[in-house]
Amino acid sequence: MTATSAPPVTSTTQRPARNARAGRWGWLPSLGMASPPAVLVLIFVGVPIVIGVLYTLGYTGGLNSVASTLAVQTYPAVGAGPTLAAYSVVFADATFRANLIVTVWVTVVTVLVVTVIAWAVALYTRLAGGWLGRFISGVAIIPLFIPIVIGAYAIRQFYGSTGFPVSLGRLMGIDVPVWTLHTQGIVVGQIWASLPFAVLLISSGLAAVPDSLIDAARDTGASLARAVWSVMLPMATVPTVIVATFTGVGVMGSFTVPYLIGPASPNMLGVALQQTYASFARPQNAQVMAVVMFAMAGLIGAAYVWANARQAKQSAVI
Amino acid sequence: MASMDLMAPPGANTGLALAEPVPVRPSRVKARIGRVIAGILGVLLLIFILGPLVWMGIAAFAKQWKYPSMLPQSWTLSFWSQVFSSQGLLPALGLSVRFAVLATLASCVICLPAAYAMGRMRFPGRKVILIGLFATNAFPKMGLFVSIATLFYWMNLMNTQLGVVIVQALGTVVTMTWIPAAAFASVPPSLIEAARDAGAGRLRVFFSITFRLALPGIMVAVVLAFLACFDEAQGTYLIGAPNYITLPTKMYALAVNAPIQSAAVFAIVLCIPSIILMLLVRKSVMGGQLAEGFQLK
Repeated sequence: MTATSAPPVTSTTQRPARNARAGRWGWLPSLGMASPPAVLVLIFVGVPIVIGVLYTLGYTGGLNSVASTLAVQTYPAVGAGPTLAAYSVVFADATFRANLIVTVWVTVVTVLVVTVIAWAVALYTRLAGGWLGRFISGVAIIPLFIPIVIGAYAIRQFYGSTGFPVSLGRLMGIDVPVWTLHTQGIVVGQIWASLPFAVLLISSGLAAVPDSLIDAARDTGASLARAVWSVMLPMATVPTVIVATFTGVGVMGSFTVPYLIGPASPNMLGVALQQTYASFARPQNAQVMAVVMFAMAGLIGAAYVWANARQAKQSAVI
Repeated sequence: MASMDLMAPPGANTGLALAEPVPVRPSRVKARIGRVIAGILGVLLLIFILGPLVWMGIAAFAKQWKYPSMLPQSWTLSFWSQVFSSQGLLPALGLSVRFAVLATLASCVICLPAAYAMGRMRFPGRKVILIGLFATNAFPKMGLFVSIATLFYWMNLMNTQLGVVIVQALGTVVTMTWIPAAAFASVPPSLIEAARDAGAGRLRVFFSITFRLALPGIMVAVVLAFLACFDEAQGTYLIGAPNYITLPTKMYALAVNAPIQSAAVFAIVLCIPSIILMLLVRKSVMGGQLAEGFQLK
């Protein structure tokens, strides 16, 4: 049934060594079974990224040739050496730099706010429980049920110039700012969309903290805040890092929310990428922006892998 | 209720030392204050999450809604019939369903055997594959799609149905592998051994024990994958538009151009499959199947 009713028996140790039955090469069938998704990812994620990076360095031939013929302009490498011409063109563009700043700003703010709200919701549900706790965490999960295009559209209207906060403010004689078509609106949309995943993961992390540990801390005189800080926080670090990384990467590469809620310019890189690629027909420039995104996401991804490695080490100890 | 098992495991002292029968007075008062604050924050969260949806829901029935009024002055159902009879809705719906079904099926065929292998067997390279799949999520989506588009131009997949199906299926690989793998892994080996000892055959054990116990996790993955495909807009837009316009990509145009009422009606229609399917697997999702899948083991 649910993961809680049967304690997660991901028993690395007690898994039967049945694969050994066929002798030395007995693991080959398992590897064969496991490889199709890896091959798919290799072809449609690995290859595009490698040729994409080569493309930004001026290698416009080969797999990049068709896209290049459709481009209004490319910056090909002369001879064998790579060129950074495409990068310098893109970075010289003030709009791109503004978009980059917006992207980083929205990503950082969203990750911080989502993590804090998700922790508050999960913590209240874990400690106080009751119908109120169930209600709050139930509400926080709702966006999971709504397609992101719809959520973004609803938020666009809600915070628009005739939306609820502005109307309410008008009725009460207060000037409420319009958030739609502003960066604030993007952040609101990103938080809305990212919250369910964060609440689910952190809740499950906190559920895994044994009551006995919290009780022991309380019995020895620790305040509730102290028990949360010294017992629950360390034990839920890994889910928190997972939430932060997934949210960060997701927000950074998003298109729908900034496209529907954000301003024409400056907007997030996701929107700029789409326009540069499809509307302005400059695939190489778009690819440069994509590589910039990859580099930023690479830092985040490293944190994720580190967190998982740490968890693996922990569970090996326990 | 049951859905919240996760947050309050059976036998858990949910009240902690704070509430419940603890007789100490001051903490009683504190608990009450805490509950009031939590209530207020809960209402704010409710407005934040549901407000936009309710506002849009009202707009779908509005004939005339003048700013800054809180409700429309007059109501109508005409936009509903208008949207349903409009050209483009049915073809877009048909395309959406076709792409989502094909992509989900492809993802099942490719990923479920792999999930079984990774959940229940040990072999060299297991961890590498498990983490390697994360590549689909590690790269910011729009950057990845743009890179894929360049390859697709070369492969003649740009603006084709196959191209859209590939992009949608790609987005489900992690869900379809990690979550079922965790589900397969959590089937107690003792049960399987007991069945084997009792003389059950390999297939019999698989179908009546392993598969059955892992089924909730698999269902969660399938539903999430289907919805991810059905609702996928950005990749479908970049690869499929303008030849293949699905419901979500149609929403991009409606959001900007259409009268607020038609867009609202359209949006509500588009929500229905998501809500129905998610309600079906709600318990398992809340019960930790999703969270479980995202912690590699």
